[in-house]
Amino acid sequence: MVRFILKRLGFALITLWILSVIVFLLGQVLPSDPGRSILGPLAAPSAVRALDHQLGVDKPILTQYWHWISNFPGTSNQYQAPIGPILTSALGRSLKLAIFAFIIVVPLGIFGGVVSALNAGNPVDRTISVVGQTLLTVPEFVSGIVLLVVFAVALGWLPVTATAPPGSGFFTQLKYLILPVIPLVMILFGYIARMARVGTIEALDSDYARTATLKGLPRGVMIRRHVLRNSLLPTITVIATQTGYLIGGLVVVEVLFRYQGIGSLIYNAATQHDIPMLEACVLTIGVVYMLVTLFADILFSLLNPRIRLKAAE
Amino acid sequence: MSRGNSELDRLREGRTELENHYIDELASGNLNRRDFLRRGSMIGMSTPLLGAILAACGSSSKSTSAAGGSTTSSGPVTKGGTLRIGAVAPAAAVNPLTVSDAGGLLMLNQTGEFLIFDSNLKLELQPMLALSWSPNTDGSVWTFKLRPNVTFHNGAAMTADDVVYTFQQLSDPKNASNALSAFVGVLTPSGVQKVDAMTVAFHLEAPNGNFPYLVSSDNYNAIIVPKGTDFTKWQSTFVGTGAFKLGKYTQGAGASFVPNPNYWGAKALLDSTTFNFYMSQAPLILALQGNSVDVIAQFTPAGAAAILNSPSYKIISLPSANHRELSMRNDIAPFTDPRVRQAVAYTLDRVGAVAALLSGKGSVANDYPFGPRFKSTDTSVPQRAQNISMAKQLLAAAGHPSGFSTTLKTEIYQEIPQLAQVIVEDAAKAGIKISPTIETQTLYYGKSTFGNSDWLDGTMSLVDYGDRGVPNVYLTAPLTSAGTWNAARFHNKTYDNLVKQYVAALDLATQKTIAGKIQNLLLQETPVVYPYWIDGLTASTPNVNGLNPTSIAQLYLNTAYKSA
Repeated sequence: MVRFILKRLGFALITLWILSVIVFLLGQVLPSDPGRSILGPLAAPSAVRALDHQLGVDKPILTQYWHWISNFPGTSNQYQAPIGPILTSALGRSLKLAIFAFIIVVPLGIFGGVVSALNAGNPVDRTISVVGQTLLTVPEFVSGIVLLVVFAVALGWLPVTATAPPGSGFFTQLKYLILPVIPLVMILFGYIARMARVGTIEALDSDYARTATLKGLPRGVMIRRHVLRNSLLPTITVIATQTGYLIGGLVVVEVLFRYQGIGSLIYNAATQHDIPMLEACVLTIGVVYMLVTLFADILFSLLNPRIRLKAAE
Repeated sequence: MSRGNSELDRLREGRTELENHYIDELASGNLNRRDFLRRGSMIGMSTPLLGAILAACGSSSKSTSAAGGSTTSSGPVTKGGTLRIGAVAPAAAVNPLTVSDAGGLLMLNQTGEFLIFDSNLKLELQPMLALSWSPNTDGSVWTFKLRPNVTFHNGAAMTADDVVYTFQQLSDPKNASNALSAFVGVLTPSGVQKVDAMTVAFHLEAPNGNFPYLVSSDNYNAIIVPKGTDFTKWQSTFVGTGAFKLGKYTQGAGASFVPNPNYWGAKALLDSTTFNFYMSQAPLILALQGNSVDVIAQFTPAGAAAILNSPSYKIISLPSANHRELSMRNDIAPFTDPRVRQAVAYTLDRVGAVAALLSGKGSVANDYPFGPRFKSTDTSVPQRAQNISMAKQLLAAAGHPSGFSTTLKTEIYQEIPQLAQVIVEDAAKAGIKISPTIETQTLYYGKSTFGNSDWLDGTMSLVDYGDRGVPNVYLTAPLTSAGTWNAARFHNKTYDNLVKQYVAALDLATQKTIAGKIQNLLLQETPVVYPYWIDGLTASTPNVNGLNPTSIAQLYLNTAYKSA
């Protein structure tokens, strides 16, 4: 297992380096320059040249890349401030939102999927499937605005922003995160429930489930011990692959609910051509994504003895 | 001017003639409180507005009517408390040299002050850190006497050295100064000279009758900073001379400010101010509706119907020179013929556009960059209105009886895509088929130089221009032969000479005379169509008083307070 983990970490480092090169090169072809972005379209060309020189973006690409990599995470061109503290606090906020969303949606999705599978073909199954698929198609900006207008503005039950006042306690922070989490739950519920349903139906049809039933195990025990353990394997994969989205892809939710996570940092960095910030954000998400998929692989192998044995070979 | 009068003036902004007539009657005592409420509500004035007017009249009449035994209650000024302001996040570092966006300039003015304040409410220049200013005989040298006993938040006294340093940095072509767009060809670092400890002289490149505007709050980068300030580190201190000083600034999230106990003027009434940053207008409006903020620093009418049409909010509407310009390439057929350009202008329903796209928060423009914001505007020049048959006649006379096809480039910004659609639909009524291309601002502006910019190179191009206190920039950069933003490629020697005379003119009467000539010439030539002027809008809950916004998104809170 240790060898397996070390091998995966080695691949992860190579992947992150390739990712950094790709982002850096893509950043160079964006139709903008940082000086113009900061000073605005009407700024004097001499001022733009002076700022570009000050930021070092008029240097050769390789020099810029080396300067960035040797000063990682470096200084934001846009904010003229060290990236480290900005990124760390944004990552903390994104993780908080993602974990809260996972805590709600994972059990809910698995429960929905298993119930749906156990009632395959009947109205309960159809209702859960249709609701899940419908919620999946509602964009965050639509569900977010509706939730804000109803629960924050009209009823006044919940705050209109996701950012709790400084020094707020745990439960106050949770209260501020309720509304932004709902659109995420709505989107992820459909995915997770669907995968859990398919996995459970396959497991129920398997030989080992049939054997367990024939040897007289009560249905509840059979589902808990034999079906769930196997049906969750594809679900874990889906959950792991959604991590990138939950950490760095929540631009709309972050904008709508005034939440400064990594999603909005990336968006700003891309639009303002702030390559050092863009690089740092993308690599951070890459690291989180790889750690989560590594964790998912380990979990996968623990749940599936065949993989465990293969890794041991 | 008492607080009540100033508050009343603010409440008058954007009111109809009849509404203002009733306010006059109330203020003069011809209408009593009950009659004012009755008549006011009859003509659609909201309850919070009526209450605010009564409060303002009460406090303003206190000193004059006390002897008469008036029983009108005075609006109590409440000290203390925290005012929560929602604003668009600064797009970059808050650096006085480089700031170019609404969020950034709003931050600058929280602690920084200018030599002069350009009041949109009064439409006049008011002394701020300069007590007085005067030109030499031809307007090529302007001398400013500074306000004594002003200290920076770091305790240092403000003197001519600080002013000279500030403007030398702002006007230095070697610096990344956003103010260069105003100072190029006007002021160089060597032109900024200390006369004595409290006097500064500006020696200009050429005579300029409106130079005071360039050192006023109109030039939002020009806050006075201590000599030797490292502008790149300014956002860690926000050091200035203003009524508030920095509490805390958090990049992208917000800022807080506390009163400056050593302020040279009246001390701030609030205990503190808190700014919450938002990335777009929609959540900002929801925040006001959800009581997360008390004030929205600035917003645009597009998408703001929920608060514009609600009596639950105070709206401050300021006359502004914020506008759009539809340029037509004068060097590309069929726009080489002025009759074709006039025809396009005649197709546009400006009144309808103001109503539909601005919710009435603006006024129609007249195909020249003079409008209600500027005192020099010659108001006798007739307004151009939609006239489709006239447009068809002009097209026929120009050899295009069936119209023609052309293209239009524009940007995704505020209501501009909708305006482009209005232009396309109106032009089609005269047979002009316009194919619009709507681009991101990055793509549209490109490098902002000829040959590298859809904005400057498009056959037709629709662009936004922000508010300015004088029309000089609008007259020069987009319209003179050497103009760096001359998207229309308009070259007219008579016009160039008139603009030169206008810029140099020192007195208003001369400016007005030349303005009339320019207005008539531009109507005749129509290189650019000006659809409308857009008001500057600030919103608050009804209990917020004493706000002093400008139409370029600044917001002064020295006199702000929250009533109980």
